[in-house]
Amino acid sequence: MVVVTGRELDSRRPDGAMSSSDAEDDFLEPATPTATQAGHALPLMPQERRTEFPAFRGPASLGASAGCVQRGPVLCHWTPPGTAGEHAAAEGREGAPGVSGTHALLQRPFGADCGDRPAACSTAEGPICEAVVCYRRKMSLKSERRGIHVDQSELLCKKGCGYYGNPAWQGFCSKCWREEYHKARQKQIQEDWELAERILHLERGFVFFFSTQSTYIVGDYIYIYICLGAPCFSHLYKLQREEEEAFASSQSNQGAQSLTFSKFEEKKTNEKTRKVTTVKKFFSASSRVGSKKAEIQEAKAPSPSINRQTSIETDRVSKEFIEFLKTFHKTGQEIYKQTKLFLEGMHYKRDLSIEEQSECTQDFYQNVAERMQTRGKAVPYHRPGLGLNLTALVPMASAVTTVLEGTKPGGISVPPEKVEKIMDQIEKYIMTRLYKYVFCPETTDDEKKDLAIQKRIRALHWVTPQMLCVPVNEEIPEVSDMVVKAITDIIEMDSKRVPRDKLACITKCSKHIFNAIKITKNEPASADDFLPTLIYIVLKGNPPRLQSNIQYITRFCNPSRLMTGEDGYYFTNLCCAVAFIEKLDAQSLNLSQEDFDRYMSGQTSPRKQESESWSPDACLGVKQMYKNLDLLSQLNERQERIMSEAKKLEKDLIDWTDGIAKEVQDIVEKYPLEIKPPNQPLAAIDSENVENDKLPPPLQPQVYAG
Amino acid sequence: MAAAGGGGAAAGRAYSFKVVLLGEGCVGKTSLVLRYCENKFNDKHITTLQVITTSLVSSLNIGDSGEQLMILDTAGQERFHALGPIYYRDSNGAILVYDITDEDSFQKVKNWVKELRKMLGNEICLCIVGNKIDLEKERHVSTQEAESYAESVGAKHYHTSAKQNKGIEELFLDLCKRMIETAQVDERAKGNGSSPPGTARRGVQIIDDEPQVQSGGGGCCSSG
Repeated sequence: MVVVTGRELDSRRPDGAMSSSDAEDDFLEPATPTATQAGHALPLMPQERRTEFPAFRGPASLGASAGCVQRGPVLCHWTPPGTAGEHAAAEGREGAPGVSGTHALLQRPFGADCGDRPAACSTAEGPICEAVVCYRRKMSLKSERRGIHVDQSELLCKKGCGYYGNPAWQGFCSKCWREEYHKARQKQIQEDWELAERILHLERGFVFFFSTQSTYIVGDYIYIYICLGAPCFSHLYKLQREEEEAFASSQSNQGAQSLTFSKFEEKKTNEKTRKVTTVKKFFSASSRVGSKKAEIQEAKAPSPSINRQTSIETDRVSKEFIEFLKTFHKTGQEIYKQTKLFLEGMHYKRDLSIEEQSECTQDFYQNVAERMQTRGKAVPYHRPGLGLNLTALVPMASAVTTVLEGTKPGGISVPPEKVEKIMDQIEKYIMTRLYKYVFCPETTDDEKKDLAIQKRIRALHWVTPQMLCVPVNEEIPEVSDMVVKAITDIIEMDSKRVPRDKLACITKCSKHIFNAIKITKNEPASADDFLPTLIYIVLKGNPPRLQSNIQYITRFCNPSRLMTGEDGYYFTNLCCAVAFIEKLDAQSLNLSQEDFDRYMSGQTSPRKQESESWSPDACLGVKQMYKNLDLLSQLNERQERIMSEAKKLEKDLIDWTDGIAKEVQDIVEKYPLEIKPPNQPLAAIDSENVENDKLPPPLQPQVYAG
Repeated sequence: MAAAGGGGAAAGRAYSFKVVLLGEGCVGKTSLVLRYCENKFNDKHITTLQVITTSLVSSLNIGDSGEQLMILDTAGQERFHALGPIYYRDSNGAILVYDITDEDSFQKVKNWVKELRKMLGNEICLCIVGNKIDLEKERHVSTQEAESYAESVGAKHYHTSAKQNKGIEELFLDLCKRMIETAQVDERAKGNGSSPPGTARRGVQIIDDEPQVQSGGGGCCSSG
């Protein structure tokens, strides 16, 4: 029988706290009334009251509150699917105690059937129930009452019994509250029970799993069975077992049943709320079945529409996976188990670095492949990277899985030619699930690199095929068609979730490139042609999250695929193309450094000079625009020339005037205008004929007779 | 084709090797593979186009044990030289091709040898290949010089002609044998000491003995 007491759970708390040492306990805190209610409830409580409710003493109340979530707040979770997000969030928080409650109840033998239920109720019933109600109430009160401005009358019980009331109990004292709500709760429980039964029937009919609302229904459904505790759970657990066995024995309806099971499993790994993860860790360490339950708990987390879409795809993949494995009968079941084990293991490793997760995945691939190649020989089973870390982290998890598995895993016998196919399917299955957590994780700088390469490619928009010596002539319609297809393929890569599909996109892109080269050159293409063309395609396409994708493939692709076959080769080439683009400089484009700098800074575009050589199908408007731009620049040039000429002319004119002025000035300076006294020499001739005597006598006319 | 490294190679298992083709542009790297693969694939009725694509990355079965070779053709232009490491990473063998009529291409081979030895050590099997021996008259690289150089760096030297299909078969077979030897020595060493599985996994791969593996098989899977 279950004994849910504050004390017992209290004692369990320390080891729980140990497992959730990563300080994510923010979720658990609110569940502890000491922490959450300190604001109003506690200070208001008379001292003697506190002794009456051991639940309020420290961590014990966590377990206590957990114990009674089973009844108190259950009803509120029956709001129809699709209610507001905040409501869902509130549910998410309350889910945690629920787990603990289940866990407590599950100490009972699994075989316990529904008839035990009332007993379970009564044991859990008691003052501790109130603790949870307190906690619930607190949520609504939080916004209303901030300070401690309370009237004395408000403190007393509404029923007037003289004891103090508590706002958490709607103003009643604990005793009155219990009486008041006992009946109502009983009724609720009854209703819940009936509803749960109905849902279980539904589940058997596989109806709701095919409904589009499945996420919600599944969420509620799982929640119910947590709320209702062991009897219901054991029921479900049996169902689960049945489904597994059904799968094993390849019954006619096996596919559908396994599908439901796998969906169920998938829910466990699908949702990721930090809080829920924490809770899960917390409880998985402290209880035997805790890990299992805690994962179920996850399904209850709010699922926004995007998650729903994801889960639809995940569903599809699971279905395909199971369908595929069905052809292998017993072996298929074994593989399915291994895969699930691995996924569960990965679940606990989300906090590890991405490299470690990658290592685990690679180990898993290798292990499975190895075991398939041993062809049924019994191999001592070991799970490197899965078992060791996992057991260290959650000691009970492996025990749980062993219990659930029942059988001891050995070698898997598979026809050798099928190995590759199976590996592909396994990869598809696990990576569809892990994608969300391991693609471009926050712990790495992948995103930063993505943005860097994107910016880089944008800055290189001006690179022409001629610069890269790309042997592709886009003027040929077929070739440009191929180029467009190649670009589409490389962009499409981002939308795929499985590394193999991403590789397939790269391969498709490469094939188109080869076609384009072949049509242009009319001869077989070589790597000398291929790589530049791929670079050109990447530059033109600027595929989203290029680095993240490359990293993701490197980390999580089945290594044999990367090591052999054309996929690996094309992937290597894509890595090269990216590396080339990152390091691209003037020299690698056969440009001068000045040209390169000018193009990079966007001052000029090499396209302008090449506008004549444009293909005829280029947009007319663009052509016209470039023509106009040319004209404008010519006009601009002319105007500038005219301006400079005009300036020159002006300057010339000024210079000329200045020059003239200066010349005149010079002349004026050189020949100053002086009025000299009238001709002195002339006067001298007349006046003082001093030296006249020295002059020879004037010539006398001589007459020659002749 | 599933990978399973680390463990000892039992009888009936075959190796899978990665071989990288290096050399200057236009020395005939692609022609070498093309010639080698085309002959292999002729009876499989594969269209020309497929041959082209598969030739660049060939998974071939060599010998009776069915070894697989993944041959990576690379772009030889100088501007792509820096990308070499991405190609030759994890390679088991390298074929360094030069043109016997082109002295520069032989210099380039020397550079590659230096780089490979520096980056990958002695684990990689090197083949130096003088291609285009049909143009013997225009030879600019002396046989003596090339062979002595190959010996000095622990590589083997071959003369081939892709045009006349000379020496290619021997080249690939010989390389494959040497790589098997290296791998076996490697395994024995690992068997003695504790092996680091991380490196082994991405290095040598032991694969199932499949009768015929070609890229076409990968193609049909990857088209989905």
